[in-house]
Amino acid sequence: MKSILRFLFRRHAVERELEAELHDHLDRQIELNLARGMKPEEARRQALLSVGPVEALKDACRDARRGNVVDTILQDVRYGLRLLRRNPGFSLAAIFMLALGIGANTAIFSLVYGVLIRPLPYQNGGQLIVLHQQNTKAAAPDLRFSVKELTDYREQSHTLEGIVEHHTMVFLMSDSLGAERVQTAVVSGNFFDVLGVKPLLGRTFVDADDRPGAAPVIVLSYPYWREHRGGDPAIVGKIFEMNGKPHTVIGVLPPIPQYPSESDLYVTTVQCPTRSSERFKANRKGRMMVGFARLKPGVTLEQAQADLSVVASQIGQAHPDVYPPASGYAMKLVGLRDDLTQRARITFFVLLAGAGLVLLIACANVANLMLARLLRMEREMAVRAALGASRLRLLRQLLTESILISMAGGLVGVGLAPLTFSILVKFAARYSTRAPEVHMDAPVLCFTLLIAVATGVLFGLAPAFSSQHAGESLKQSGGRNSSARRQTLRHALVVGQVAVSLTLVIGAGLMMRSLLKLSQVDPGFRTDHLLTLRLTPNFARYNTKPELLPQLTDNLMRKIRAIGGVSSATMVSNVPLSPSGIASGPGAVDFNIAGRPLSQGQLAPQVDTTTADENYFTTIGQPLVSGRLFSEHDGASAPPVAVINQTMARHRWPTENPIGQRVAFGFQPDAWIEIVGVVGDTREYGLANQAKDEIYLPVAQRGGFSSSLIVRTASDPAATATAIRESVRQVDPLIGIDQVGTLEHFEEESMAPPRVTTTLLAIFAALALLMSVSGIASVLTLSVTQRSRELGIRMALGAARWSVVATVVRQGLGLVSIGIVFGLGGAVLLTSLLSTLLFGVSPTDAITFAGVAALFLIVGAAACFVPARQVTSIDPLTALREE
Amino acid sequence: MPKAKSDLLQGTLDLLILKILDLEPMHGWGISQRILLISGSVLQVNQGSLYPALHRLEEHGWITAKWKASENNRQAKYYELTRRGRNQLIEERDNWLRLSAAVGRIVGTA
Repeated sequence: MKSILRFLFRRHAVERELEAELHDHLDRQIELNLARGMKPEEARRQALLSVGPVEALKDACRDARRGNVVDTILQDVRYGLRLLRRNPGFSLAAIFMLALGIGANTAIFSLVYGVLIRPLPYQNGGQLIVLHQQNTKAAAPDLRFSVKELTDYREQSHTLEGIVEHHTMVFLMSDSLGAERVQTAVVSGNFFDVLGVKPLLGRTFVDADDRPGAAPVIVLSYPYWREHRGGDPAIVGKIFEMNGKPHTVIGVLPPIPQYPSESDLYVTTVQCPTRSSERFKANRKGRMMVGFARLKPGVTLEQAQADLSVVASQIGQAHPDVYPPASGYAMKLVGLRDDLTQRARITFFVLLAGAGLVLLIACANVANLMLARLLRMEREMAVRAALGASRLRLLRQLLTESILISMAGGLVGVGLAPLTFSILVKFAARYSTRAPEVHMDAPVLCFTLLIAVATGVLFGLAPAFSSQHAGESLKQSGGRNSSARRQTLRHALVVGQVAVSLTLVIGAGLMMRSLLKLSQVDPGFRTDHLLTLRLTPNFARYNTKPELLPQLTDNLMRKIRAIGGVSSATMVSNVPLSPSGIASGPGAVDFNIAGRPLSQGQLAPQVDTTTADENYFTTIGQPLVSGRLFSEHDGASAPPVAVINQTMARHRWPTENPIGQRVAFGFQPDAWIEIVGVVGDTREYGLANQAKDEIYLPVAQRGGFSSSLIVRTASDPAATATAIRESVRQVDPLIGIDQVGTLEHFEEESMAPPRVTTTLLAIFAALALLMSVSGIASVLTLSVTQRSRELGIRMALGAARWSVVATVVRQGLGLVSIGIVFGLGGAVLLTSLLSTLLFGVSPTDAITFAGVAALFLIVGAAACFVPARQVTSIDPLTALREE
Repeated sequence: MPKAKSDLLQGTLDLLILKILDLEPMHGWGISQRILLISGSVLQVNQGSLYPALHRLEEHGWITAKWKASENNRQAKYYELTRRGRNQLIEERDNWLRLSAAVGRIVGTA
């Protein structure tokens, strides 16, 4: 260490001392020789001879000092830079390829790190967990919690620090300036304490805020405060009207990502009209809330899981009516971070793997370029070895150069990566609320540095190993030996490149086929010319007078049907393919079938319900299969009727006619409903999801308000949005409007995640393919150059030019074929990872595999074209003369 | 120049240098002359090995170097044994004596 410091700070002094020391030695030897009676010149000559080569001696002395490691590195770097400047074409090509590879990896890693790996921005986020109630045997992996269930777990568990709850509601908030719909999170009083969030302004909730009769208070989220309230620093203490009560703002949250979803503001549970109603609190099956908790210090997830499982079985035994043994009721704890990012994991890792493969291919290509250059530099290396450069030193120089290249590539890559961020963040937002946390920071840069060095070593090692016996090549005056070895290595690299890129192209191909299949799925209704808006009436007014709601619906429909360009309109509880519907998935309501009583402990069948008016099916174009649709005669006083989809008809009445059958819901077991019609299936909850059992009920008989308006228009549906908003305001200015969009757009949106994944993979695959092609071409070209003498002689001896060309092409296609075989094998092993992302395509889809293999053969043949043309320029006579 | 040259065993040069410096501080040329002299011109140290060896020993901390005026006021780099170097000398000397005695026994019996 001391010597390294000395080297760094006293380099020149040390160097001068060495010089003086050797000079002194020489002087003394000359003096001695003179004293022995030699002539002055002879004395000097003999002295110099006894010392030997001075520079080598100096080198040996320098090497004896460890500090000179730094010096040799600097020398290597200088030498490397000189080499790179000498071959700008090579350097730029290599840096460009690596920049693409490293840039892609940096971008995808930022995504992976920001969403999957970065610790949650909460105090000791690792201790936060999400509670999931499950009916394992009824395939219900995530039941929400009822108030009674939360209370049971709070009272009976020992390993958790406070179980807090969260659910969201849409409320209308008004002040003197007007009303506004707000996405409101309803949480326990200690919610922010358990999460460990400190307010930016004011305070967060305390337990007293969550007691019955407490003064209504609200906490604003940072984005809502900034964007809707102008970042008003005096917001704390302001009063807003919500649910008919004055609410006081007590605080503003810091700019942290909100989990589990983004909300505008927060209130405590006692302020939510639904959550605080006695009926809801008493209903053990009234499940609406998500449960969070923090592990007590020192408690592991496993211990907590064991504790809560005991509680779950106690609860199950205490209420067998709610948790029949056949349902497999259980409790599952998941770390908050894992829970929030679970959906993103496979996709992100597939993308990271794709980017990694691109980098691997880029490495192989650069290694190939370096080998090619090394073949030309053979002589230089040999001379340097003969002049006394040790093998280690030469290897180190090659590695220094390759790391220089990869660092330059990394630098450019880091510059390129942020260009993709705006797209990537939008992409990530479809998977996780952590998307805003995607950015480039120290851990990401460390990763980039690491892969830059690793790639440098990787592609630097190949040429380094091939030059093991550089000394020999001088003796052989041509270096056939090690160039043969290099040629073999280059061939192996090409085979590897083809194999890896083939795997990648197959992966992308499968995703494309899957996307194509998905886009060909018939949603079961006509998505064109449909516009939808979600309407939220002021529930503070209508909750007390629900009988006003049918009147409101009537008024709205009359107004909207009168708008020019609207050919039909309907109100429905859930819009097919809407983002919110896809996110929540189908519901599951227990029902009974008349004449099929349940035996003891048997689980009731379940169905998803949709409430709609009589115009729903005709408006969206969902076909009637048998029976009849609702009509205006199916009013509140008429006998209850329902329409089911084909899947339910097949599922529940495989051999009977479902028309005329009667069903009753678990929550109203005596209210029998007659099935009057069967309609076609729709892919209501995502194009990739098969239709589930669905029952449609007329809103006139169910009461309440179906919140989504769907309008079929004669012309561009988006153009009528303004007129519809205006009509709604005329009916009731306090109706909130959101989730506006055309169904065509919703359909597009539902395919966006697979589309972006596929696009990214396709880009990676294209890069891989291009690099492989250039790899093949460059290897063959060099091989032709090297064999030009041999090929020329062959031609001189009478071989036809085309047969020589054929030799070259055969060699190229041979390599490509071996690569294809390996690649197909690798693809079989790797594409199973994609299986959960694929729709309607097997991971070993024969068409894709065969198509991609054929593509590679064609592309490989094209790559042989360049070197083949070169053959035709060989002049047999020149070749002969040279020999 | 004497013809009788012996290749030095690996590591032996270090021992010789340490031993010479144990007598008194000395510069590089002086060390080579002493070795030649004391060995009765049998051991001639190659300069290409001597100086790297000196630098290496200095790096190990067994010897230190100082620029001092030598005879007729010329500056020369004098090497001097450190305490650690003295310990090292004792150790290496013992090793050498054991080794040479053993080799001597084998070669002597033939």
